[in-house]
Amino acid sequence: MRVRGKSKEHGQEHKYKHKRDVIVTTIARLMIPFIQMYALYVMVGTEGAGGGFQGGVVFAASFVLFVTAFGITKGRGRFPESWNAALSSLGLYFYAGIGLLCIILSLFGAQYLNYGALPLWEIIGRPETRGLMITFVVEVGIAITVMAVFTSIFFDLAWKGEDNKEDNKEEGGE
Amino acid sequence: MKAITASALLFVILLGALFIYVAEDIPAFGDPYSPANRWVNLSIGIDARNHVMESLNEGVVPDALVSEIKNRGLPLPEGYKVERGEEEGWKGWDILIPKGEMFYPNLEKYYFIMNEGNRLWVYRYSVPVRWEERCEEEIGVPNMVTAGLADYRGYDTLGETTVIFTAGVSVILLLRRRGKL
Repeated sequence: MRVRGKSKEHGQEHKYKHKRDVIVTTIARLMIPFIQMYALYVMVGTEGAGGGFQGGVVFAASFVLFVTAFGITKGRGRFPESWNAALSSLGLYFYAGIGLLCIILSLFGAQYLNYGALPLWEIIGRPETRGLMITFVVEVGIAITVMAVFTSIFFDLAWKGEDNKEDNKEEGGE
Repeated sequence: MKAITASALLFVILLGALFIYVAEDIPAFGDPYSPANRWVNLSIGIDARNHVMESLNEGVVPDALVSEIKNRGLPLPEGYKVERGEEEGWKGWDILIPKGEMFYPNLEKYYFIMNEGNRLWVYRYSVPVRWEERCEEEIGVPNMVTAGLADYRGYDTLGETTVIFTAGVSVILLLRRRGKL
């Protein structure tokens, strides 16, 4: 069976530092897709329980599980810092932008965040427009921001800086 | 670098102007005309007779209506005032809380009485009751909590999301180790 990590190449000292347990990685592999699916279900849950905040936190929990199982360097590789920074403001832009569109598209007739004034109401009616915007723009925006911010906080707290890489280089040189 | 600074300054000024425009639209606290603050039917009604309407016009709530309201366990503000009023195009009478009351220092609307089908119906200005009764027909979402969170209390939720975003930015500034990732 293949053992993850660099313990075999770099001798006995770092045996326990880099070794990945096969049970943990397999369970994480199995569970992460389902956790993310459940997060998406909770996120747009206007028909049942849930909402943007809860869905975002569940999504962030899946990244925490990934880092626990596969290590922080690999986790950062999967979810880079640039994406993280972009996503944490993108959700807020969705929320504030749809509110701004309400003002602009109703030609300054409606209030900020008055979703019923979007031109879509002429096709499907005002209550349905409100429901659609709440479900697929506002809640998803909240969820994106919460997910990105919690993941960012987790990485900032757990990241060891360049120590990781320097250690690896020294080990490689030995 | 200069061009970036100037454009950033311009952007911030534009955002400030936008914020002022938006803040002008927020209804004042306790404004009876703000959208989610309108009236709901309490299904208390008496027959609309001539002397009842006249007494309302004179500024006195008729005894029959007072006893109906009291029977339902609802309060009638002490020293109330009655004025002719109009709500969403319907004409009727407002029962107002007088100025100087202990908990509501300003003149505020409490009940709205309307003649409908030769019967006087009493309406109440109330956020929670309206929320429970008309949430689905107004917003089209079966989940009451989500509807309240994202529509009736939209500004609140926008602020909460901003707080979370600010927390993330603060953690980045304070705790992030500089270095290549």
